[in-house]
Amino acid sequence: MNSQLAGETTNLQAVRDGSGVTSGVPNGELLSRLVELTLDRSSDNTAELAEIREAIVDAMDAPALVDAAAVIGNFQRMVRIADGTGIPLDKPVAMISADVRDELKLNEFGSADLTPAPGPIGRFLGRHLRPLLIKGVSMGRKKAAAGD
Amino acid sequence: MQPFAYSNSPYPIRSDLAEAYRHAWQKLATPGTWWSGGARVAIAQEVRNAQECELCSARKAALSPFAPTEDSHNNTAALAPEVIDVVHRLTTDPSRLTESWLQEQLGSELSVGHYVEIISVVVTTLCIDTFHRALGFDLEPLPEALPGEPSRHTPTGLEEKTAWVPMIEKLGETEQDLWPQPRMANVVRAMSLVPDAVRLLKVLSAAQYVAMEDVPNAAADGGRAISRGQIEFIAARVSAINDCFY
Repeated sequence: MNSQLAGETTNLQAVRDGSGVTSGVPNGELLSRLVELTLDRSSDNTAELAEIREAIVDAMDAPALVDAAAVIGNFQRMVRIADGTGIPLDKPVAMISADVRDELKLNEFGSADLTPAPGPIGRFLGRHLRPLLIKGVSMGRKKAAAGD
Repeated sequence: MQPFAYSNSPYPIRSDLAEAYRHAWQKLATPGTWWSGGARVAIAQEVRNAQECELCSARKAALSPFAPTEDSHNNTAALAPEVIDVVHRLTTDPSRLTESWLQEQLGSELSVGHYVEIISVVVTTLCIDTFHRALGFDLEPLPEALPGEPSRHTPTGLEEKTAWVPMIEKLGETEQDLWPQPRMANVVRAMSLVPDAVRLLKVLSAAQYVAMEDVPNAAADGGRAISRGQIEFIAARVSAINDCFY
């Protein structure tokens, strides 16, 4: 299933299943592998981590590696805040992401119970609002590129 | 030498990242809203202990994380056992926490304010330690705790209908800086019982991800060396591995 992550077409199966799946994101497989190795504490993977860092620096550059590492760190926060405090998804996000959550089977996560499933009207609105959101992103990028 | 100097780093570390981490370490050592500086540093130490904890590994692999056990956590005994358990669970198995579990933890020794501040210390420590692990750096030594008393400040405008913990619905006079009115995402509001936790979250988010006010603007990339699409892909992948529905 393809979708848009910040305006880039992405195979969402790569989000769920990892670096073995082509993501469509530039260097997505390398970035996904960095995430997997960083978060896996089940064995000593120091050597593999060093290899993937080298591969990212070769394919992208060192600042890209640093920024990727920072994002990994940042999102270690989300699950702990969200599931530690029992918050539901924000309503607009719940509405526009309903189909994607179904497709990726995210509703199987225990904390999915905290967010009521949107009804038929919510799903209808979500499906129709998502393309508008993507169009807005695209326009924002064009404006930014033009220096507006 | 100051912390987070990165003088031997083979990679160029942005100065705003190092500054944000130094700010976080200084805040970690300082008395918070409900915990002393010493307790906050001890909580941070337990975050590190949890990642080498055999009980946590066994629980993570178990069908239920709440089965009774006589085993104890790998810990440095600077905190009450109940607090150590909370810190370890938040660190290693957060996606299986429940409201009834939280209610059982709360009492005269652990208020909901203490609990929200524990989350803040856990995520602050973990987000910085994870950055170091990804880049192959040694963990930064924890700071020396500073003396003083917690402020025990409770913000106004709280609501209790959305989450397991009270969150600010309407910003009061002393919390106007937390977010632009009228609304903020639940994941930020979730920490607002301890306003300083939101302030620290903002500093770290701006350095590690994008500034909080830019999050809804999917075209904003914070001037990073990776695109916003790559940023969101990494974020989504981390969340998927962590079983994070949010």
